[in-house]
Amino acid sequence: MSEIPLPSTVKRVAPWWLIRHETMLAAILLVALIVLGALNNRFLTLDNLLNQGRLTTEVGLIALPMTFIIIAGGIDLSVGSIVGLCAIMLGYSWKNFGFPLPLAICFSLGIGAAAGFFNGLVITKVKVPPLIMTIATLALYRGFAEGISQAHSVRGYPEWFYFIGQSDLIGVPAQLWLLLIAIVVAGIALDRTTFGRTLYAIGNNETAARFSGLAVDRVKLIIYTLSGLMAGLSACVLVSRVTTTRSDMGIGYELDVIAAVVLGGTSIFGGLGTIWGTIVGLAMIQLLKDGLALTGVKGDATIVVIGAVLILSTLVASSLQRRRDGV
Amino acid sequence: MTAASLTRAGADPRRLLKALVSQEALLAIAVIGLAIAVGFYNPRFLATRNLSDVLLGNAYIAVAAVGMSMVIISGNIDISVGSLIGVLATVSGTLAVDGAPIIVTWLAPLVVGMLVMALQGAIVAYLRIPAIVVTLGMLSILKGGLISATGGKWITDLPDSFHLADIEIFGLLPMPVFLMILAAFLAAFWMRYSASGRAIYAVGGNAEAARLCGISQPRTIVMVFALHGFFAGIAALLYATQLRVIQSTVPPNLELTIITAAVVGGVSILGGVGTVIGSTLAAVLIAEIASALVFTDVSPYWIRAVQGALILITVIADILRRRRMAGA
Amino acid sequence: MKLRFAATLLSATLLAGTAYAAEKRWDGADDLPVNPLACSAGEASAAPAAKPYDGGQPTGAPDKSGKPISLVDVPKLIGIGYFNATSKGMQDAAKALGNVSAKTDGPTEAKIDEQIKFIDNTITSGVDGILFAANDPVAIAPVLKKALSKGIHVVGYDANSSPDAREWFINQAEFNGIAKAMIDSMAKEAGEDKSFAIVTSTFTTPNQARWIAEMGAYAQKCHPKLKWLETVEAQEDNNLSFNQATTLINKYGDKLSGLFGMTSVATPASSEAVTKAKLCGKVAVVGLATPNAMKPYVNTDCVKSVVLWNPVDLGYAATYVMRAVVDGKLKPGATSVEAGKLGKLTVVNGSEILLGAPFIFTKQNIKDFDF
Repeated sequence: MSEIPLPSTVKRVAPWWLIRHETMLAAILLVALIVLGALNNRFLTLDNLLNQGRLTTEVGLIALPMTFIIIAGGIDLSVGSIVGLCAIMLGYSWKNFGFPLPLAICFSLGIGAAAGFFNGLVITKVKVPPLIMTIATLALYRGFAEGISQAHSVRGYPEWFYFIGQSDLIGVPAQLWLLLIAIVVAGIALDRTTFGRTLYAIGNNETAARFSGLAVDRVKLIIYTLSGLMAGLSACVLVSRVTTTRSDMGIGYELDVIAAVVLGGTSIFGGLGTIWGTIVGLAMIQLLKDGLALTGVKGDATIVVIGAVLILSTLVASSLQRRRDGV
Repeated sequence: MTAASLTRAGADPRRLLKALVSQEALLAIAVIGLAIAVGFYNPRFLATRNLSDVLLGNAYIAVAAVGMSMVIISGNIDISVGSLIGVLATVSGTLAVDGAPIIVTWLAPLVVGMLVMALQGAIVAYLRIPAIVVTLGMLSILKGGLISATGGKWITDLPDSFHLADIEIFGLLPMPVFLMILAAFLAAFWMRYSASGRAIYAVGGNAEAARLCGISQPRTIVMVFALHGFFAGIAALLYATQLRVIQSTVPPNLELTIITAAVVGGVSILGGVGTVIGSTLAAVLIAEIASALVFTDVSPYWIRAVQGALILITVIADILRRRRMAGA
Repeated sequence: MKLRFAATLLSATLLAGTAYAAEKRWDGADDLPVNPLACSAGEASAAPAAKPYDGGQPTGAPDKSGKPISLVDVPKLIGIGYFNATSKGMQDAAKALGNVSAKTDGPTEAKIDEQIKFIDNTITSGVDGILFAANDPVAIAPVLKKALSKGIHVVGYDANSSPDAREWFINQAEFNGIAKAMIDSMAKEAGEDKSFAIVTSTFTTPNQARWIAEMGAYAQKCHPKLKWLETVEAQEDNNLSFNQATTLINKYGDKLSGLFGMTSVATPASSEAVTKAKLCGKVAVVGLATPNAMKPYVNTDCVKSVVLWNPVDLGYAATYVMRAVVDGKLKPGATSVEAGKLGKLTVVNGSEILLGAPFIFTKQNIKDFDF
């Protein structure tokens, strides 16, 4: 009778955590940073890096719940439109309804949550596939933003409102604090709570998860609502940063977010992914764009590089992961 | 509606009736119904001139939707097709201005389209990178490449013989409409009655089962992407030869419109279900809605909201219809 | 049951939308105050009272008078002929001046968010001056003010920002001057008592909204029998704009005698629509566009005149103004500035510098231009 080799006898090339997708990506990022830093001495300054953190916050806030959603096997393409809608509703409710600004901010967040909830409701109850539902709401919510705003921008907010988007707190940009707190919360939720484990279970095998008694529908509803809520928060930060509202805000965010999440090792098929990976993916895209621009590479060449990096990094990291898994 | 169930339907009149309430039939009813409804509001909508303009101006989207449907049915997706069409149109126009024989300018986008898409298909199939990642990356590469190569300079000295879209078959049927119908029927026929066509459904429905039946998943996927590139090439050709100038930029949001047409046409994102006839009809419906919104004086601010709502209704209705039929 | 509820909700939205539509017709104009010119032919500009200087100033800008400077130009987007032309003008000026090096870099889509990131990078990389054409006048202000606070000179062209965020703004032509040229051409080509429609860009672009507002005011004042039918939004896509223009032609039939194109995409697309519908000569097309895109239509006499300014001159002037600012030759309160081959340019509206009168491209001169 032949012996089935036990895992302990399988030869390992290196410790498992070293060959993880996220670690490989972080290594690639480090190499890229060093190269770009060498080419341009203004890139690796604290000032510049903090500023890049400020600019990444809006996409970063949305990337966190998107990680949850993609791990659970879904997707949400309407986040960009929700950002636009919430931005418009912030201005509209403040100016036209006469809400005091703090109430307008809460209202805008509420609209975002409601938009996400509607996505989740139709996805779980009517069972429309997430890709289709969010493509439809991408158009619908953007349409609401355009219709309600009638292409008018709302400006002239009180000074205190600009703090979140433009000022620093102990030297670090205010919105970056927000992002850091959100990252910690999201990371703990995904890694240490039953909620997080449920997401992986749903992503790996939804039917099995359901039969195991997990509240699949409720969890899905939560993550889509969360996605809408974070889009609303992102909208408030954006309006604070640029001091005005436009109905075309947030266009294209969904692709930026998905690129960061997928680059970070979250599998589009579900069941795999970490917040840490998403952060590395986010940092990589933003810092690459910034570093290339500072080195003098023009806008059109930069997006070619980003596209190539996306494909190549995924290739490298996935094949290494596969080798680790023995596939 | 799968091929199998339609065959069974032919043997049972009740089942045949159910088949007629398929997505394709509903779309056809919607197209005609909308036209009549708008005709009441503004009879000029029903003028032959207008209806044919709607078809001519948007045929390229329907052709591209045929290829996209195949990709989606196989269980993948492609968001780079808009950028690719922009690139192919520019390639075609540049060749024409440089004096290449007209046949070459017409065939070039087909060939280049097939090659680029087959490359993406190979990366998806053999390197096993998810299609959304590959096509997302390729979208940026194509767009940046186009700007770097052309600087966005419009192509304006096109020779008269270049304009394929102006040709009328037998003096009656305009080329765009002809190609749209031809593409839809050829693709539908091939996917229903040929082994490699049916393989697409198999791979999209259950890749493991397909493999066990001897269908090579990687080869099927590369083939699907190559075909998608072929249809994208035809779409680019129609796009490029319609106007006297070529913009040399990537048409914004084109991939979203094409995906919407495929999805509204009944193609399931889960793979394995759908027809290209449905997506062609859906593309026609979407174009018709755009025109109808102008004719019915809907405020431009609300146009996108109306479009989104219509897509949502169609999709929800389709899912509910499917569920009710699956239960039967 | 749920389906019925959802369907009712969505139908209600649709009806609400349509009802709303019936209420207010969108015409594409903004709601800022208008200032129509006098009706007689020629440049009878209603001389505005001289405004005090209202631009911003850099803090701690190093004195580089007479020394070489490096500039970065961040237009609305790169990869379109118009900004290729302004960029070329800047290169021409840099060569003529000898001590200026200018580079153009910007987003590949006209998004204000991306443009702000580019300007931010430019600030970090340490330049002497920034030239810009804003995607949004208010949203761009914070990052421009940041540039000023770091001692970088800021000059705008083509699309303005709020005045205190930049030192000077090169205005290619007065909004009411463009409006006058467009309306006068339409009245001449289509007829005084005819109806026209407008094809504009997306409704979030400020310049187009300004022009349309001024056009409305001028038409009301000097050509009151010209009737406005409808304004449609065209995307940046030529084919989609063509479809929109064709829909307009089909909707109004004989009632439509003229089409206004408000962008370099809308005008050729409208011309194509008129050509395809075999209505050249029956429907007049008047619009703003770059000459290259219009050559096929002007050469077939379908379009008689194309209104624009010379973007190459615009970029050229912007560079000269920047040089003058750095050299201390152009200070707040000045009334004119020397701009190389363009001669002396006047200061209007406090901190704007006027390039000149709108330029009309016709069949005779269009072949001399390549942008």
